[in-house]
Amino acid sequence: MTRFVYVTYIRATPDAVFDALTRPEFTTRYWAGTTQTSEWKAGAALGVHTPDGRLWDSGEVLEIDRPRKLVMRWLNEGFAEMKAEGPTVIAYELEAQGSVTKLTLTQTSAVENSKVIGAMSQGWPAVLAGLKSLLETGEPIAEFAKWPEGL
Amino acid sequence: MTAMASSAFVYVTYIRSNPETVWQALTTPEFQRRYWFGMHQECDFRKGSPWKLVFEDGRVADDGEVLESDPPKRLVLRWRNRMRPELTDEGDARCEMTLADEGGATKLTITHSIALEHSKLIEAVSGGWPKILSSLKSLIETGEPMDSIYSRAKA
Repeated sequence: MTRFVYVTYIRATPDAVFDALTRPEFTTRYWAGTTQTSEWKAGAALGVHTPDGRLWDSGEVLEIDRPRKLVMRWLNEGFAEMKAEGPTVIAYELEAQGSVTKLTLTQTSAVENSKVIGAMSQGWPAVLAGLKSLLETGEPIAEFAKWPEGL
Repeated sequence: MTAMASSAFVYVTYIRSNPETVWQALTTPEFQRRYWFGMHQECDFRKGSPWKLVFEDGRVADDGEVLESDPPKRLVLRWRNRMRPELTDEGDARCEMTLADEGGATKLTITHSIALEHSKLIEAVSGGWPKILSSLKSLIETGEPMDSIYSRAKA
């Protein structure tokens, strides 16, 4: 098993953080221009799409308790090597602490020394730093808001 | 080195500012007091200089020495806890901070490590760094740190 855990604190309500993690009007602004589509209920399918409309990740909502918890099965579709490794589970836990929301991200793979976790653990700090900047200042980190050239 | 038992905590964040500003915020007491649980550091941040992390009432939380200093890119501290005997007994840890300019943001990486398996010190700092660095990011980007985290940590 391979696991990555990342904690950040955001000056916003859990509802606002939950929306920013899941709604396209937010994700397109800080998460490499991507859009997530789902009915956001347990058992619903999940798709992550590039700005030009390609399916980049697929999955399923495993557990949802808005705005406290969201657990998803997540399979990369963009790279054959990542897809071959099989799905990971991504969990967001949100906890209000006064005017701040504690966001805990946990991504787990059943595989030892998972390459997917290795790659995504490099990306999560940028994604969540952009999310925090967007919610606190109204502006994301511009560099992480664009889809990488050539991908 | 690969065979040595060790514990490490690594945390990365990106701050919408330049490395000089982030370095200032990491090394200047006036800044530190606003985001680091009210604590500040006593140090001139030159290689070989003593380093201390001090509570508002003057008690020393941690101390050590500057092992490397290359403003505004890299700072390495020898770090020993002075508040909890079970942590002091673990001996010296190493705290490395690196700053890199990444197109309009500063990538800040903290690596806190000790040559000991299942370290209680590393467990303790793993809870603290995300709070400190989230508050630092808010302070630099918005002018205000995160008050509620600060008051909870003090209580």
